[in-house]
Formats: sequence, structure tokens, C-alpha cells
Amino acid sequence: MMKTQLHLQDADGFYEQLLDAHQGLSPEQSELLNARLILLLANQVGDARVLQECLAAARPAESTATT
Amino acid sequence: MQTRAPDAAAPTYQATAFTNGYEFSKGGYDLPHYPFVAPPELTSGAVLRHPIVIVGAGITGLTLACALARQGIAAVVLDEDHSVGVKGASSRGICYTQKSLEIFQRLGIYERIAAKGIQWSVGRTFAGKDEVYAFDLRQQSSFQLSAQPPFINIQQFYIEGFLVERIYELGHVDLRWGSRVTGFEQRDGHARLTVDTPEGRYQLDAEHVIDASGSHTPFHDWCQAPRQSRRGDDRWCIADVRFSNLPPTERHTWIEAPFNDNRAVWQHLMADDVWRIDYQMEPDADPAVVSSEAEVRKRLRRQFGPDIACEIVWVGPYAYRSQCLETLRIGSVFFMGDTAKIVSPFGARGGNTGVGDADNLAWKLAAVLRGRAPPALLESYNQERLEAARQNVQVTNRTARCLRPADGMERVFRTAVISLARQYPFARQLVNTGRMAVANPYSQSDVCDASGGLSVQNVFFRWEDGSQGCVNDLIQWADGHLLLLVFGDQSAQARERLANLSRHAPVRCVQVLGADNRRQSLETVRDPLGHLQGACHVFGHAWALVRPDAYLAATGEAVDSALVRAIEHALALA
Repeated sequence: MMKTQLHLQDADGFYEQLLDAHQGLSPEQSELLNARLILLLANQVGDARVLQECLAAARPAESTATT
Repeated sequence: MQTRAPDAAAPTYQATAFTNGYEFSKGGYDLPHYPFVAPPELTSGAVLRHPIVIVGAGITGLTLACALARQGIAAVVLDEDHSVGVKGASSRGICYTQKSLEIFQRLGIYERIAAKGIQWSVGRTFAGKDEVYAFDLRQQSSFQLSAQPPFINIQQFYIEGFLVERIYELGHVDLRWGSRVTGFEQRDGHARLTVDTPEGRYQLDAEHVIDASGSHTPFHDWCQAPRQSRRGDDRWCIADVRFSNLPPTERHTWIEAPFNDNRAVWQHLMADDVWRIDYQMEPDADPAVVSSEAEVRKRLRRQFGPDIACEIVWVGPYAYRSQCLETLRIGSVFFMGDTAKIVSPFGARGGNTGVGDADNLAWKLAAVLRGRAPPALLESYNQERLEAARQNVQVTNRTARCLRPADGMERVFRTAVISLARQYPFARQLVNTGRMAVANPYSQSDVCDASGGLSVQNVFFRWEDGSQGCVNDLIQWADGHLLLLVFGDQSAQARERLANLSRHAPVRCVQVLGADNRRQSLETVRDPLGHLQGACHVFGHAWALVRPDAYLAATGEAVDSALVRAIEHALALA
């Protein structure tokens, strides 16, 4: 099941690192970084159901699935 | 009715000539010609009634016809052409899976295919100059044990030609060439077909119509078949070429080929030293332009160097698409092959699915027509092969989406996957240039128990005299009945029950013994290496109920009433 309570060891530190990673990148480079990061993190999670729940939770609430 | 076998020689390779377009006109192949013979309906004017009429003599229709012929079941095949491989040259298959080869072995044409075709097991995927993914199917234990190799590549028309030869050898099936179905009427319990021939029009009645006429079938409209279709802007151009110096016997795919403007390319070998090179073109590319000889030669020079020496055998531009019916049976009509579903040709999931469709329906039709099973058994064809069709459409659509990502975020993720694949092993699995076809499992079938539904590989065992046999030999011996394999020593009570079952139920029973078991009163074979047991997906003391299509109907442990119910269940008797 998707964790909804804090699991990060250093929440503020990670957030800062995430923003820093995008420093000085063009929008296209930032997009690519995010995509690579999502794939790397997804492989750390592994669990298909958790990933599915995360995908559903990440979609903006007002949008509806189109596929 | 027996028809004299006409010039049923297999097609042979001749000098090549450049051809272009969707129709294989005067290509490099000398294909056999099967003449039209006036059927009794035309000479007498009577409307005759046939139990089975197959429309379309492509790989699917001919596989069904051959499977029926092998079981002595009469059928009529109607095909508008006079040969194999000519019509609908687009999307002709080249790659046949172990499961299809096992089916062809049962039908008696495997040796011919193996002699003509090319075996391969290594696939490599490249992005730019880097190899990002590779597999060797010989290293995968799941492929090793069958009497047939993981894959054989061969031009589809060779297989069709071998099937025609075999059908003429076996008899029982009336192959009617030059016969185009132009009318259909669903009546009470049968269909009436109108057939146009070079010598006039006639009608016939069919209790079971099998539509294997391909992607341009008229039956979808005639039956108002509900279906879902998808067509994108992706364009490809196939070049079948003969080289003077040969590339390796491996399947190579490029997701981004530097010599094709970073678009995808396939490279695969067939019989006669012919290679299929499939180039992804720009979206919405003009087919006439991309398939001109000058353009094709330019692409080949970019890939293989300026000194490339090759003959162009055939060129075909394609817009791949997918389609899936919502039901594979409407009234008297059964849909199979490309009338059931259309997939992009990634992973060899087109023709091999058609072969699987045919093998699935063949034994069921035979069982019903022989009175061994009720007509309800035929409904399981729809359940099982619709599941297979949907799975194959889904898998190929996923490949298509990786190869032609939509502009925007899909493209970004594709770039991310390829860049990660160069660095980390996990991402190589995400590079999808086609997932090779498998024997699709059945999880939603009324006649397959939850313990069954898997394909049984054609593995080897020992007969009691020490000689080698394979699963297909046992299936052949069972002669259209279910095959019950019981593993290990059996109690006297179990032996008595099994003997009773063999006498009274539509099942043939064989005891499978290890190296050390003592022979008991049943028919026995030896499985010293446990391959047969492994192929049946069971362990220890167990039984496996194998269908004539080499799928498990059910498996279990105790020889008790559950086994009796499993047999009834497998034939839709209960």
C-alpha cells in the first residue's frame, strides 16, 4: 500500500536537493531529469500496486482519466 | 470428396526482381498454382450442407483445415486466389514460435519447415551504437526442452505451401480455389454462403463458418461484429533483400538507428538468405516516395555501407494498426487470425496467434462433430482466444507506443528510458522493440480449471522399450481424446478408478514413471529426467489432464471424484 505518512529520513534535505538538481537547467533538461528520476525511483519501489496508487494519487484531482 | 492433388509442389526461390507496393506481383518467388475445380454445387445446382466451411486459405485457415484433415474431419475451404502468399502481401509473417512449430510438428510439416527455415535464438537491441538489451533464448531453460527450437524464421508462404501439400496428402478437406464468398445469410442453425467462381455463382450451407479471410474480411460488416480499432501516424517500409555477404543470424533491432535518422530499424533473416529490413519512416510519410527503389537503396547503403551488394526481393510500405473484435463468435461464424484481431507485427504476434486460434478450434469442432462433446464446448474458443487476442493487442500496442511515442511527455520518457538503459541494467527492460510471442495462457475459460490453462511443451520422455517419444506422440495416440497423465506409483484403488475412466470416459490414460518405479498395470512411459512432469507444471504425485491442443485442462493430486469432474468440465459435459 502507498505510504501516506512521512517515510523520508530527511524531508527538508531531500526537497532542497531536488530543487538544487534542477538549478541551471533549461525546461527541456528539467523535464528529462524528472522523467529519469521517476523511472529510477519507480524501480526502487518495484511493487506494482503501490506504483499504481502513486500514479492515481499524483494526477490532479479535477482531471479524469482519458485512457 | 477427394480432389486430385494438382501441382502441389512447394514454392521455390527464383531470380529476384524489384517489386513495390501492397500486392506481391511478379516477385522473386515462383509460387505454385492450384487450379479451380467445379464443385458439385455448381454442376448440380443443388445447395449442399457442410458441417464446416473455412473462408480463406492463409496460414490460419490452412492450419485449421490441416488439423481437421489429420483427425479425419471433412471441411470445405474457400479461397479467392489460386496460390499461397500472393494476396495481402502486406504484413506477411516471417517468424514462428516454438508453440506454432510444435503444432506444425503434430500436423506433419515441421520437418519441411526446419529444413527450409532459419533457426535463431539471439536478439539484440541497439540505441545508436550502443547495445542496450540482448537475449539468448537458448539460455532460457523454458525453451530448451522442447523437440522444437525457440523460433524458426521462414517466409509465410512456404508454410502455407507445406500445409496445402499436407492437406492433399491427408484428404478429407475440399480445397476450393478461385472461390470468392460474396454473400452471407445467417439462418436458423446454419449460414448460407454465396460463392463466385470463374465458372459461375453457387450457394452452399454451412453449420460452422470459420472466417479466416484476413484483415479485409467482409464478414465483420455482414455480422455487424462489434470491434475496437486504433490507427496511428506511424509509417514503416519493409525491404526484403538478399546479401552477398551475410549479417549474423540474430534478430537485431534499433530503437534509434543513426543510419535511419534515429528512427527504429529491424533486421531479421529468412530462408533463401533473404533478410527483412524494416525501417521506421517519418510520421505520415508518403508510401510511394519511401518505397521507391532509389530511396530503398539509399537507406540500405546508409546502413550497410556504400559497397553493399544485394538484390532487393520485395518492398512494402505500411501503416501498422490494431483492431480487436469484442466477440470471436457470432451466430454460425467463428473469427480467427486477422479477422479476430489485427496487431502491429512486433514480436511475431500476428501469424502465430492465428495458428493458435486454429489449433484451439480444430479439436473442439472435431469433438463436437464426433459427438464426444456438446456444442457448448465451442463457446470456450471465444473465451480462450479472445483472451489471447486481447493480450496480444495490448502487448503490441505497448511496443508501438515505445517506438512511436506521442510528442510531448511520451517522447520525454522514451528519451529518459534510452539514456538510463545505457547506464543501468534495469532500464534495458523498458526498451520495448517487441516482446516475442508466447503460447497465451487461458485464465477466463469455462473449460479450463484454475489449475490448468497453460501450454504443455513438446518435451521428450522414454517409452517402455527405451526409445524416445515426445508429448505430441502421446497426443497423437490419444486420437482427439483428452490425455490423462498420472505421475508416480498408484494405489490399487487408484489404478482401478483409472482403468474405469479409460473404459467409460473420453480420456486416454498413461502412467508416467520415474527411473526407479516398478511398472504397474496401466499404459506407462518413463520420465527419468522429469521433463514431462515439468512441462505439465506439476510436482510429485499428481495428474495432468492434457487437451489435444497441448494445453492443460486441469491438474490435481488425488485420483478421486475431482478428477472425474475435471474431465467433464474440460469437455463442457457438466
